[in-house]
Amino acid sequence: MSKLPHNRLLDLLWIVLLALTLGGSWLGESSPPGIGLGLFVTLVIAVKGRIVIDHFMELKNANATLRRLMHLYFYLIPLVAFLVYLTNIIKL
Amino acid sequence: MDARSTTPEETTLQPQLESEESENNGRIPGNRGMWAGILAEMTEFGLLFGVYFVARFYNPESFQLGPGQINTLAGTANTVMMISGSYFVAKAIQTIRIDNRAATLRWLFLVLLTIVGYATIKSLEIQWNIENGVNGRSGVFFTVYYYLTFTHMVHVLWGGMGLLWIMLRTHSGHYSSESHEGMESFASYWHATDLVWLVIFPLLYLLR
Repeated sequence: MSKLPHNRLLDLLWIVLLALTLGGSWLGESSPPGIGLGLFVTLVIAVKGRIVIDHFMELKNANATLRRLMHLYFYLIPLVAFLVYLTNIIKL
Repeated sequence: MDARSTTPEETTLQPQLESEESENNGRIPGNRGMWAGILAEMTEFGLLFGVYFVARFYNPESFQLGPGQINTLAGTANTVMMISGSYFVAKAIQTIRIDNRAATLRWLFLVLLTIVGYATIKSLEIQWNIENGVNGRSGVFFTVYYYLTFTHMVHVLWGGMGLLWIMLRTHSGHYSSESHEGMESFASYWHATDLVWLVIFPLLYLLR
């Protein structure tokens, strides 16, 4: 994917982000609550975040500190969201 | 000859490429001041997500039922607006880098349309909520929902004002392939605002 010219890569990633959004909404509406739904939804947060940070924000080959901070944010938030959701599933 | 050995031209180019790469590695898209603001924004929303997690941990039932009572279609449509706005601004940066100001202005105008779309959808969503008896006092889920989405909306509207300024500066020929730091700063802010929504949307509308 990184062999594509940046302009074409942006077009492709936009379509990927839209597909993940529409797919996620459909799954969120049609799936019963459960670990599978929680895992999918939180993984999609991480994937979308990584795409925007690396390619739209252009941090992939830029300042390492900013890139690591932003990546860390999109590891931590989905992880905590999944763990809290898991405790909800167990409690209910 | 060793397959991994380099030609004289490659040897000459190597230090230059390494130097360019390390220069690029230290590069900050936009300016430092904007990044201070972006990190403050991410911290602010990080705290609000913390509130969401604590509230969800202690109120599992409210957070399981809540998403079913808000409008997923509105949330999805606004996600499409935010993602598309982020894509359009990335395209605007690409075109200013080749000094195509007319194309840059067209991409920035599309960003403006996504902001108008976002604001319209948000107002329809609030109206829908009111008609369906959903307000900030309907329960802990809805309090968190209004706090998060209203705070995000404020950031979008600030971005809208910034965008108008950037469009004006582009129109007056202020930016070029050599100098467009202000536009990159706005783009970074806008991507950060998109990133925040990419967390808000699934947490509030999808995780039931």
